[in-house]
Amino acid sequence: MNKILRTLIPFDIAKGLAITGKHFAKVFFTANRRKVPFHIVSEYPEVVAKVQPRFRGRLTLLKDEQGEIKCVCCLACEKICPTQVITIEKGKKEGRKMPFPVRYDFEMERCIFCEFCVESCGFDSIILNHQFELAAYNREDFSLGMVGAENMFEPSNVGKFSVADD
Amino acid sequence: MFKNEEMEINLGPQHPSTHGVLRVKLRLDGETITHCRPMIGYLHRGVEKICENQTFFQGQVWTDRMDYCSAVANNLGWAEANEKLFGITVPRRAQYIRTMLNEFNRLASHLIWLATHALDIGAMTVFLYAFREREDILDMNEAFCGSRLTTTAFRIGGLREDLPPGFEKMVQKFLAKFPSCLEEYENLLNENRIWKKRTIGVAKLGAEDAIAMGVTGPVLRAAGVPYDIRKAFPYAAYAEMDFEVPTRTEADTYARYLVRMDEMRQSARIIQQCMDGMPEGPVMAKLPKILKAEVNEVYHATEAPKGEIGYYLVGEKGSSNPYRFHVRAPGFINLQSLPKMAEGGLIADIVAAIGTLDIVLGEIDR
Repeated sequence: MNKILRTLIPFDIAKGLAITGKHFAKVFFTANRRKVPFHIVSEYPEVVAKVQPRFRGRLTLLKDEQGEIKCVCCLACEKICPTQVITIEKGKKEGRKMPFPVRYDFEMERCIFCEFCVESCGFDSIILNHQFELAAYNREDFSLGMVGAENMFEPSNVGKFSVADD
Repeated sequence: MFKNEEMEINLGPQHPSTHGVLRVKLRLDGETITHCRPMIGYLHRGVEKICENQTFFQGQVWTDRMDYCSAVANNLGWAEANEKLFGITVPRRAQYIRTMLNEFNRLASHLIWLATHALDIGAMTVFLYAFREREDILDMNEAFCGSRLTTTAFRIGGLREDLPPGFEKMVQKFLAKFPSCLEEYENLLNENRIWKKRTIGVAKLGAEDAIAMGVTGPVLRAAGVPYDIRKAFPYAAYAEMDFEVPTRTEADTYARYLVRMDEMRQSARIIQQCMDGMPEGPVMAKLPKILKAEVNEVYHATEAPKGEIGYYLVGEKGSSNPYRFHVRAPGFINLQSLPKMAEGGLIADIVAAIGTLDIVLGEIDR
């Protein structure tokens, strides 16, 4: 008898609907109100997405206070890279004791963002920045060097495609 | 009167319910499956061979990309296998942090399993709720090591960095709300008549067959065998943790669901214990600058969310690369029980059988 009643009256479905109803009501009555903590979705392209301080983004070369490149061409990052995306050419510059990188090429399309290069660097001359919008239309935009519009010192401007211009 | 003819069809490789690029060759008699063979290899990258050409340090990034739903658990196995090979002792604080992150990863993996398995069978709501909690775990991954999915979380000899500031608060916030979330999923599914009809008695795999085929993980434990490497051969800090190994005897899809739900509760318990008993100290052992192996071979097995993941490494004298590297992937070995589960059943049930095995093709094909 009990079993028949349970089959006829869908308590189990009602139990599930109560949960979804609760969540629906929560959102429905607080919609469009700011500072509601349980709204878990964010309006991403319009609102800039936050990343954690340790986020691993694009590889960036650093300069010191005098505007000198910190890299001294020890080639540690080139050796440790699991996908061999870094190519460094050693050179000399007048008025500088340490070797100077004539070329520092970075093939972003093969980079796996593991941060081994930063870890291996003994001179703190490279970091991974907080940029994650790295899509681009052209393949050449992924080959970064020390010169040109897309270089290793500034963040890529390829992220601009994610936000509408108007 | 009617011509009795068997039909051969392919399930996959692009079918959404095969969790990746799995192709299953089916021979059907009406709606009954008479013959079932999984065909794999669509995602083969040669991870084992690539790792043999890279140093021990570099190899870890490939373990992330095998089972991408449980990257931290794979990292742990790789790091511990290497530590066994080189005879490194890891500081106690690093062991605790590893244990905690591994359990978080188990939660994330089980949540994504619950979400996709329920979605396959037809319960869409659980998918959205489970991904909501998984998001918090991925945020914690990001806070700890900077990446959400391909974590590269550990290093040979310990950890790269200590826990970030504010991590404890994130963990406590998560642990405070997680039991109520689990209850939510259970209220949605446990009693649901559709869920029960689709799972109870479906895709049975008894203990004898499971052991004979080398099946491990929740699939084995749902058949009543309490085998868990965390208990049987403790690694990391599991010897100091107090937890139970949930088992069931029904050996069907519903039992595996219940086992995994109980496992999530136990994982939350382990995380709480790790946070309470977190020792102070360094997180990295002293290592030589370049790891060079002796002639030596190790096999180290750990309990990944999907089952036993084992790393077999052979060192070569004076070389910084492994001479031979092999992975005992839990998904690969669990998948061979699919014909046993599916043959003789209905075609609709093979979707449940694939879902309940919790396979990730990145790991199976490697």
